[in-house]
Amino acid sequence: MAGMELLSDQGYRLDGRKPNELRRILFKKGIFKQADGSAYLEQGNTKVLAAVYGPHEIRGSKSRARHDKVLINCQYSMATFSTQDRKRRPRGDRKSLEMTTHLKQTFDAVILTELYPKSQIDIYVEVLQSDGGNYCASVNAATLALIDAGIPMKDYVIACSGSYIKDTPVVDINNLEESSGGNEVIMAVLPRCEQIVFLEMNSRLHEDHLSPVMDQIMAGCRDIFAVLNQKVQEELCQKAALDKLVDSG
Amino acid sequence: MAEEIRIVQPKEYYKRFLEKDVRPDNRELAEFRPVVLNIGCVTTAEGSALIKIGNTTVICGVKAELAKPDADQPKDGFIVPNVELPPLCSSNFRPGPPGEQAQVLSQTMADVIADSQCLLSESLCICPGKLVWVLHIDLVCLDYDGNVMDACMVALVSALRNTVLPKVTVDEETGDIQTDPTTRVPLQVTCCPVATTFIVFDNKLLLVDPTREEESMATGAVTIVTEGDNLCSIYKPGGTPLTENQIDNCIERAFTHGREVCRLIEDTLLSVDR
Repeated sequence: MAGMELLSDQGYRLDGRKPNELRRILFKKGIFKQADGSAYLEQGNTKVLAAVYGPHEIRGSKSRARHDKVLINCQYSMATFSTQDRKRRPRGDRKSLEMTTHLKQTFDAVILTELYPKSQIDIYVEVLQSDGGNYCASVNAATLALIDAGIPMKDYVIACSGSYIKDTPVVDINNLEESSGGNEVIMAVLPRCEQIVFLEMNSRLHEDHLSPVMDQIMAGCRDIFAVLNQKVQEELCQKAALDKLVDSG
Repeated sequence: MAEEIRIVQPKEYYKRFLEKDVRPDNRELAEFRPVVLNIGCVTTAEGSALIKIGNTTVICGVKAELAKPDADQPKDGFIVPNVELPPLCSSNFRPGPPGEQAQVLSQTMADVIADSQCLLSESLCICPGKLVWVLHIDLVCLDYDGNVMDACMVALVSALRNTVLPKVTVDEETGDIQTDPTTRVPLQVTCCPVATTFIVFDNKLLLVDPTREEESMATGAVTIVTEGDNLCSIYKPGGTPLTENQIDNCIERAFTHGREVCRLIEDTLLSVDR
């Protein structure tokens, strides 16, 4: 079964990528009017929407309010039609709850939480189509939505996944590579200071192989950052130029 | 200054505009917002559509499953529409179980499919008494800026028209189920019901295609579902009473709008190759 090999002898993966090659990234910020910040992001065939509301007054029980920092409320949800087999529940199942917690922890670490005591920031993520790397796409989309909402952060948070297939570290794995039973390493990093915010690894991997995989993922994160940052800065410059034009009459 | 009045006295703000027969977003009272339709955007679904009416955005995905039919209706498949209004789409919605509005919308969608007979549940039969299709039609509102009912209806019809199912056969003797993924069969969608929503402002003015702000100030609403030259349903959930003349006027406008939307769906479907 030469066609089903995750990594061919020529060094190509199933979808024709090189081991260190990312999937195509497309994104758009500020797509929704109701939300304070929003973003749509495509990584290959994974399509994710993120919306940010806030900072606003605490909703629900006031006892959740913290006097020294903002409360971050996340909800991760997958549309029932996002996977090959229909999902029974878009949210509330264990996988989604785990993902919600992970997102919350990730953004708790990078948002300057002490700036908005006794308030709340909502981050809602909806996966419209899933082809592996849901956490990564969600984090990247939420980062863009937070930038769109103008919420101060230490740095971008960029997430990327990786695996170790046939003695080669591979980056940004898709659904097929994820579900083939190999190992999976997920990292969320602050790309400019190269700090790791979130790291998860499942399945067995030899100790010696971890660091090449992490290096590869870090390189992937830097690449994603470059793609996102370039367009964000371009848009910002355009907007600044436009504002200047308006001010000068 | 204008923005402050809009927040403090929204009704006064609107009245000043409506006196001059124009709405704050530059529309006339009978003018619809621009519609953008994208069909076949989710490849994991059997059929899908995304619609934008102004800022209101709804995405619809159709997933098909196999099931055993009910014993008393051995030929009927199942059509299960579900509308979701997640907190993502507006700050008015809270996380948790579906609210009243979402449930009402889901039921309305189911009623319209049944009333208009645009998709017969018998057409989902594979083998009477043994195997039928279950169509899960999931509609998710992504941005809530009023008139979600109309948006849902267009998304639903477009997604159904886009749906293709693999050919499934049941072996008569062994009862084995065989799927042929190479042959794809489109659904038999017979017609194209379109909803048109009007709201009543200040007990007298009729506004078409309301935004969220207009909806929140409305004293009444009426939704008319048309299908070609036929009326399919009229839904008036209380509020300001309307005269027969006003309803007639609404119906007439709904027919014109229905034909336009149908043409849009047809045109978009033609541009999608599948």
